[in-house]
Amino acid sequence: MTETIKTTRRQLLKMGAGAAVLPLFNINHTFADEVIYDGGAFDAGGAVLRMGEWGGAWGELVRKFLLDDFEKKYNCRIEYDSTWPWFPKYIAGGVKNPPLDIGNWNMPEMFKTAAVGDFFLGIDEIVPNVPNAKNLWPFATANGVGITWAFNQYGYAYRSDLVDTPPVAFIDAWKAAFAGKRGTYVTPSTLQMVFFLVACRVFGKDQYDLEAGYKAMKEFMPAKISDFTGNMKTLLDRGEVILGVLEDAEPLQARDAGAPFGFAYWQELQPILTQTYTVSRYSEPMQKKLAFALLNETLEPEFMKNMGSVFYLRPCVSNAILPDNLVKAGIENGADTMSKFWIPDWKAYLEQEADIVETVNTIFAG
Amino acid sequence: MYGMAVTVGSDGRVIRPAILIRIARGPAFWWLVVPAVVFFIIFFLVPTASLFALAFNKPATGVIDLSAALSIDNFIRIFTRSIYYEAIFRSIGIASLVCIVGLLLGYPLAYVIAKTSNPGRNALLMVLVLSSMQLDMVIRLYGLMVLLGDNGLINSTLLDLGLIKAPLPLMYNIFGVVVGLVQITLPFMILSLIGSITSIHPSLEEAARSLGASRARAFFSVVFPMSMPGILAGTLIVFSLAMSSYVVPALMGGWKVLVMPIHIYQQVAETGRWQFGAAIAVVLFVSGLLAITLYHLAAMRAAGGRS
Amino acid sequence: MRGESAIPFAFRVISWLTLAILLIPVVIVILAGLNSGDYLTFPPQGLSLRWVVAFLTSETFLPAFGTSLLIALITTLISTIIGTMAALVLSRARGRIVNALRVLFILPIVLPGIVVGLALYVFYISTDVGLARTMAGLIIGHVIVTCPFVIATVTAVLVGFDRSLEEAARSLGASPFTAFRLVTLKVISSSISAGAIFAFIISFGQFEVTLFLSGPNLQTLPITMYTALRYSFEPTAAAAGIFAIFLVVAATVTTSRITDLKRIFGR
Repeated sequence: MTETIKTTRRQLLKMGAGAAVLPLFNINHTFADEVIYDGGAFDAGGAVLRMGEWGGAWGELVRKFLLDDFEKKYNCRIEYDSTWPWFPKYIAGGVKNPPLDIGNWNMPEMFKTAAVGDFFLGIDEIVPNVPNAKNLWPFATANGVGITWAFNQYGYAYRSDLVDTPPVAFIDAWKAAFAGKRGTYVTPSTLQMVFFLVACRVFGKDQYDLEAGYKAMKEFMPAKISDFTGNMKTLLDRGEVILGVLEDAEPLQARDAGAPFGFAYWQELQPILTQTYTVSRYSEPMQKKLAFALLNETLEPEFMKNMGSVFYLRPCVSNAILPDNLVKAGIENGADTMSKFWIPDWKAYLEQEADIVETVNTIFAG
Repeated sequence: MYGMAVTVGSDGRVIRPAILIRIARGPAFWWLVVPAVVFFIIFFLVPTASLFALAFNKPATGVIDLSAALSIDNFIRIFTRSIYYEAIFRSIGIASLVCIVGLLLGYPLAYVIAKTSNPGRNALLMVLVLSSMQLDMVIRLYGLMVLLGDNGLINSTLLDLGLIKAPLPLMYNIFGVVVGLVQITLPFMILSLIGSITSIHPSLEEAARSLGASRARAFFSVVFPMSMPGILAGTLIVFSLAMSSYVVPALMGGWKVLVMPIHIYQQVAETGRWQFGAAIAVVLFVSGLLAITLYHLAAMRAAGGRS
Repeated sequence: MRGESAIPFAFRVISWLTLAILLIPVVIVILAGLNSGDYLTFPPQGLSLRWVVAFLTSETFLPAFGTSLLIALITTLISTIIGTMAALVLSRARGRIVNALRVLFILPIVLPGIVVGLALYVFYISTDVGLARTMAGLIIGHVIVTCPFVIATVTAVLVGFDRSLEEAARSLGASPFTAFRLVTLKVISSSISAGAIFAFIISFGQFEVTLFLSGPNLQTLPITMYTALRYSFEPTAAAAGIFAIFLVVAATVTTSRITDLKRIFGR
């Protein structure tokens, strides 16, 4: 029944617009072909790989460290797309018409997209085609959807000049001294989701104890709210916030640049903010092959080190060598460290998302 | 709706320029509206209507296709949960307040610009108004945060002078949202007003003065009513901009002043529940139109005539 | 014209206040963009042009500036033409259809831009017209949200049409069409310019409508700012603002040399 309506509506829309504009193209996918990549360079014959990644300085440096050489080596062109959000674009296009061949995601959006339809290759279909994947830490492929290639760890960023007693534990942010000067994020932000789930777990029975989370959010008020890390960083810079939920990259970077920033990892739980690449199932074979090759090059220790030195990004491969700035910050790249990380049950969260957003919105609006 | 299809004469009577009526009756002119109408139907009405149709489906994350199972669940949710229905009134209230403040602040400056005959000074004033519009919204709001934040210039000055003990709540609340919206919509108000004020012949005001009217009386009985088309156009533009703005309430209200566009943005761009987002958009749309229509009718009555 | 002394004292005082509200945030941003430090701070740690240079040599900001400029120019052209044509009919014809059309032409600015953008994006995709994430598709979105401003501005002036002009035209024995060409078009030309300036500024700064319609090779300045500022708040963004202001000042000064600016917003 849904199918019929869908067709009729699309036909109606087509008649409406088709009258004015002729359909310019119809894509015929040959996605059924099996794609295999074994790690060598090949000639892609000028094919275009559509890649979804973050913008700004990040984009400029990914291009410099990796993509310019990649284009030459594989004779292809990379269409670098930083027009986030991608989730609505995947949905609007449908499974067989993906807007990107390879996309970089934070977990919740990726799971949300994957839950709607068969957009992405499974992890078992990707790993055999990415030789460097053998070096990945186990958590990097545990999500089942894409390959996590880099990450940062959550904690509290604070102003070392404005905070009397630096925080050490997750619960420290609830201290009266931080009232009105602590910060977290809008409810649909990945950082707030993690903050909320850790609160459920630390203050309640487990991460599914939403009531405990709501109570913790209530007691966290008065607090300031940001949309993304950029805004939180600004609030910290201005001293509007003196303690805020953040991943370690920005504050460590600021501290090394001489700004009065400190960073405290949470004692109770160690969640991480991940960067995960997906490969679209219904991309053309050549694009899929290029996506595998790009993933493989991304996992090279050299690229990892470059990104680490500029963005304080931590590698997901065991053979990576940490740049000096990360070593100086006391960060290690060993099996012990990796085994301590906590990954929330995203699927369970997303099932409850609508209610959580509504309830937490109400709490934040006070 | 802009339809200030009236000119108010100096005696407050409505004047309809005969030439316009004559031209309008000429058969050759109606087609001028066709391109805009066709364009708006294809690229606005059809797409928006099909998105709005989704509002009558139960919310399902990431589903964009219309299903035959119609339901009004979304609307029931909006009108039974205070977080949503309060947002309707908050949106309309904030937009109305922004209009009033904008008019009170903008009219004098528009008047000054309209009456400034020195071309250099006039150009300078125009450049100042226009350049304030040219900054990226997010960046401009950063400037306001530096000014109004808890650690902002105003609060830190007052604290240093010992005039206050704790920072005044100048942003992250409705006050901050109104200031931000006024700052951003003022140029639209001012530029809409200048045209109307300039078009009032100075001799009318002089005539009123020479008949013994005080300056204030001459202003309120001649200049102000005659600039009504500009006031209507300006307030209408400002109201619409304020009502549909997402970035300003978000950043200046610190995501704590929940207006309709914030809910829509979250549902549409972030959680992907388009059916619910569409339903909120429908409600925003209808309430905005209702407010504008009421305002328009009231203004017509105040102007003493109908278009 | 009488001297400026005719302006009431209260009006002068409020005008200064209004100018302050308009300009203080702008001055703060300019100073922040001229900061010589590594971070966006206010007050600046020292003045330098390093972030302006960073903007001018950026591989993302400068091309985005060009894209925004191009899109805004095309949008302004289309919106001004079809908007003025529509306003001519709307301001003089009457009846139920005309009232309905007036409503139609304001609808896009009552809706948040994000809704307009998403609706268009879904429409482009589901009709397969090849407009999704193309410049033509984006310009269509911008025309939808800028055209109402042109129509509002031009209509507002048309209905305040000066009777003496009409009398003059009549006394010269002009036909309605000639009267339109020689009188009306001339009279409204400055309000058309005002509408065009609105359209340009709104298109150039448009973020919400663009969010869904922009593409990998179609990054406007507000989108680039947004994607860059999401992760770190660099002074480059403020420097981009300085550059934009500089452009508008230069453009306004040039225009004012050619035409008296007051004529644009006055008539």
